[in-house]
Amino acid sequence: MSTDLHSLMAPYALDALDPDERDRFEAHLDQCVDCQVEMAGFMATAVRLGDAVGHTPPPALRDRLLAEISTTPQQRPIVTSLAERRGLRRTLPRLAMAAAFLIGAVGVGGYVSEHENAQDANSKNVAMSNVLGADDVTTESKAYESGSIKLYSSPSSDAAVIIAKGLPDPGKGKVYQVWMVKDATPTSQGTFSTGGEMIMKGVAGSDHVALTVEPEGGSDQPSSAPVAIIAV
Amino acid sequence: MSASAAQLKLAAVPEHGAAPDLNDLLVRVGRGDEVAFAAIYDALGSSVYGLARRVIRDPSRAEEVAQEVFIQVWQSAARFDPDRGNAKSWLLTLAHRRAVDAVRHDQAATNRENKYDWSNGPDFDEVEETVTISLEHEQVKRCLDGLTALQREAVNLAYYQGYTYAEVATALDANTATIKTRMRDGIVRLRDCMGVEA
Repeated sequence: MSTDLHSLMAPYALDALDPDERDRFEAHLDQCVDCQVEMAGFMATAVRLGDAVGHTPPPALRDRLLAEISTTPQQRPIVTSLAERRGLRRTLPRLAMAAAFLIGAVGVGGYVSEHENAQDANSKNVAMSNVLGADDVTTESKAYESGSIKLYSSPSSDAAVIIAKGLPDPGKGKVYQVWMVKDATPTSQGTFSTGGEMIMKGVAGSDHVALTVEPEGGSDQPSSAPVAIIAV
Repeated sequence: MSASAAQLKLAAVPEHGAAPDLNDLLVRVGRGDEVAFAAIYDALGSSVYGLARRVIRDPSRAEEVAQEVFIQVWQSAARFDPDRGNAKSWLLTLAHRRAVDAVRHDQAATNRENKYDWSNGPDFDEVEETVTISLEHEQVKRCLDGLTALQREAVNLAYYQGYTYAEVATALDANTATIKTRMRDGIVRLRDCMGVEA
């Protein structure tokens, strides 16, 4: 039986997962909206536990910090692309559903397509959770300065999930494109900007997953050398 | 407790230390404002240091971790989005994660040196007593008291000691599924008792 990722909600909020489980759970949390809603309450509860044990720090700490920050560079804000801002709707399902009902009042077609999208999204989430919680799931990852790409493969599901977070900006008018490479033949799996997740089916026999930078909308074939290659 | 009782309780307890302008300050820190950084430190320094000390125990190690937390705050404040969370939660979540990682890292080093055995770990009764006595927040103390013994032990060992749930299960001689369930029941009861809205 595979791990029920949902049972890791409370241990996650209490920081009681080991690093590997934490990563897998976060990958699940990223695309499980119901979990995010419940997790907000759990995390707020944990913060109250943390806030209950205050202790005055040694005065020298303040001086050291103020001296250190004056010579410490800062990260810049992440500029989200239009595509990513659209992606935010995924994390605001109630608003999306409310909007769907408003559209429905004007024209039924709008509601139907929203509804189908929600169903697609839901079955995609279920498929992803199955991979992430599978007994035989293996993880490969690449770390970047402020983010990472992680590939979770499950032979028993014949599927893999790729999760990218906080990648370097691919440049104006550019996106990252994901390719599954089998017998030296790349097949496009989709595109994202600095972050996203996707599920890939039929991974048996593939050699690796490659990431290239392509013009917005993606290319039919990779047009540049891969920026990342991850073994399946 | 019923929902209405929880709400009455919430209404009777003033929001603890909720400074309304911390979000603004943190946004300013993200733009390189050192004065705002000092103000954030003055508001949350004791929370961050206290939490690190609770989890790590060794005061000088806790000070190191608190310093790392605030440096990370300085470096990454521009990534803080006030629409998606509040500054205090952001900092305390970060501080707890760092403290737990530090205590586990140190523990792993001790294990390598001493072939540390779990049976030599901190005595549980002692742990619980220390936590309960030093809790400054009356409401949290009362809510923890309202948990069953196993729920409270599981929450204490995980949150205040940095145990993984598997380590909690070993320490309490229970199976991991039971511990996960007790943690969940415990945190739900705490949430309702504290009147956390989410």
